[in-house]
Amino acid sequence: MNAPVILDRRRVLAGGGALIVSFSLAEAFAQDQAAPAAVPVPNPPGSLKGSPFLDSWIRIDADGTITAFTGKVELGQGFRTAFQQIAAEELDVPFASLKVVTADTSRTANEGYTSGSHSMQDSGTAIQYAAAQVRALLVAEAARRLNLPAENFRTENAAVVAPDGQRFAYGDLVAGDMLHVQAQPASKLKDPSIFNVMGQPIPRVDIPAKVTGGAAYVQDMRLPGMVHARVVRPPSYGAQLTECDTSSVEKLPGVVKVVRDGNFLAVVASKEFQAIKAMAALSAAAGISPAVVKRAIFGALDELALGWLLSGRRTNLRKTAAEVAEWLVRGLLPDGEKP
Amino acid sequence: MMTLKVNGQNHEIDADPDTPLLYVLRDDIKLNAAKFGCGLGQCGSCTVIVDGNAVLSCVTPLLLLEGKQVTTLEGLGTIEAPAPIQRAFMEEQAAQCGYCIAGMMMRAQALLQKNPKPTDEQIRAELEPHLCRCGTHMRILRAVHRAIRLMDTADASSATPGRAQ
Repeated sequence: MNAPVILDRRRVLAGGGALIVSFSLAEAFAQDQAAPAAVPVPNPPGSLKGSPFLDSWIRIDADGTITAFTGKVELGQGFRTAFQQIAAEELDVPFASLKVVTADTSRTANEGYTSGSHSMQDSGTAIQYAAAQVRALLVAEAARRLNLPAENFRTENAAVVAPDGQRFAYGDLVAGDMLHVQAQPASKLKDPSIFNVMGQPIPRVDIPAKVTGGAAYVQDMRLPGMVHARVVRPPSYGAQLTECDTSSVEKLPGVVKVVRDGNFLAVVASKEFQAIKAMAALSAAAGISPAVVKRAIFGALDELALGWLLSGRRTNLRKTAAEVAEWLVRGLLPDGEKP
Repeated sequence: MMTLKVNGQNHEIDADPDTPLLYVLRDDIKLNAAKFGCGLGQCGSCTVIVDGNAVLSCVTPLLLLEGKQVTTLEGLGTIEAPAPIQRAFMEEQAAQCGYCIAGMMMRAQALLQKNPKPTDEQIRAELEPHLCRCGTHMRILRAVHRAIRLMDTADASSATPGRAQ
């Protein structure tokens, strides 16, 4: 027989995995760059596979503003800080001088889910290789301007330095679509022995806002004219909304609109708690097919009983299976009574 | 209309008296720190200080707060001038996602205001109602111990102990 999957809080915690489901817009503006990529680079590292253009990862503006982009969501893993370190290291710019933009469907690469400890290896790798290649492009541009071989140029503090000491700020070197090029197969990465930003214990950039009440979560967004909605949840899967008199709910304070579409029922109000109160009133007013409720409740109880029995008596599954069958056939009995 | 005193400032609140304090703080006064976690007083992420006591704002109706002093994390200090407890949490990097942290900090702050030298056991017992799914517990405990030392130093040198009351 198939062993049931028993999940409780402790076991989920012990597993330690966070599954964060993100969404992607197939036609999102910044994410359609894969389309013109007619000539794929053979096996580019990390998420450069899906988004091979360097400016999907690193942007340098004429005013010298440097931005690194990731399609992953920072939710306490600390990679926003880590990516800032990676980009700063490979670009040779001060850590504090660049910003990291995370998971913005209109601006960042579509990297799918943020899950499975893939952010560093996929997105971090893409940023590292892209930054190294951007740095090489900047060096090449400075060398081109002086008509000298690039080998003798070096970079420091967001500038390319020529053999004679002449400095070119990154912002002055970038023109037009210079960084809108595909990643090359080979990157000249820094030797880890000369790292001075990566490998350093830099405090996480997101913590100060989180311990002082700064805007740190999606819940902290307050858009102009924003209203709040609550959906009336049915008590069971498959429930049918049979009737609903919404007129009294529509008159409640703050209620903007009651929305009904087939079995879907929701309410919109100006303030959040007004929406919650209206949702409760709406829930009480909604007629829901009772047969479905009854069936679902007994189904859920059967499932609970099965899970409880199996979790407590793992040693003798064959015996347990017979007991469970008895319980399911005869129904639940009070504690101590055998079926 | 009701006057609500939050972080030393009076606010005129136009909300039903049964509205939980959390919604008033977030929706009417536009403060971010107190968080909606469960809405049932079972997780602690909405904790604020009312007249020196840690209170679950998601289940405390507005009508009970007339004439009382509400303090949220914003009222303790700022990024530029953090209170000892905020400095301690930054220095210990005591947050993963950080969603539970404001509540943890407010209950710890209330504890330290009453008892500036709690034992580790007392801190653990006090913070027991708070859930942290990330598993940051050990850092949180270290941060509270660090806050005790910082407050002690601040008192000894009569430096500004944040803006906590």
